[in-house]
Amino acid sequence: MATVHRRELLAYLVGAGVAGTLLVAPYTLRVVADEIFLPGRGISLVPVVLLPIVWGLWNLLRVRRRLRVGAGTWGAMLGLLAAAGVNAYLRAAGAWFQAAALLVVFLPLLYWLLWRIVVGPLNRALGVDGDGG
Amino acid sequence: MRTRALIRRGTPASPHDLWPRLRARLAEEDDVVRVAVPPLGWREAAAVAAVLGIAALVPDPLAFLAASGVL
Repeated sequence: MATVHRRELLAYLVGAGVAGTLLVAPYTLRVVADEIFLPGRGISLVPVVLLPIVWGLWNLLRVRRRLRVGAGTWGAMLGLLAAAGVNAYLRAAGAWFQAAALLVVFLPLLYWLLWRIVVGPLNRALGVDGDGG
Repeated sequence: MRTRALIRRGTPASPHDLWPRLRARLAEEDDVVRVAVPPLGWREAAAVAAVLGIAALVPDPLAFLAASGVL
């Protein structure tokens, strides 16, 4: 039987659960945008389906390493990595556009908010960590 | 009839019926957690304003939001 620390498992589930819940937005809004605002024009697809796994592993990593960095800051670092990854992905796919460079500001701020207001409090409530977030 | 009723009343619940025990155990272990959202101050307000401002001011907001994973 495989064993895993309860805190680490909970950390993964919190990150994956929050990201999975938030994915409702892109999955529904994109359909609306495609049908109403952009008929006939394709939007470059970024693999957002991986977000729950990435968020879960990122939260698990913070708990496993016992990092003394707040949840918001940790989330912002993930946002920075995600922005770099998306830019690299768009460039490799030949779909890069100039405004995509602003993602390195946009995503860290957005992730900071989400991790500070949602992931951090859930971590504390479930005993995953006890820092100030 | 009276004898049968007395016998039925005296019969304990079957030990193989685990549902009552499971329900009791789940109810016993179900505790309450308190989710304390941090107070929202000027830093959070500034971050929200920046996020909305960037999304509104980029030349192609839909493509930008799609690339960010928000859309």
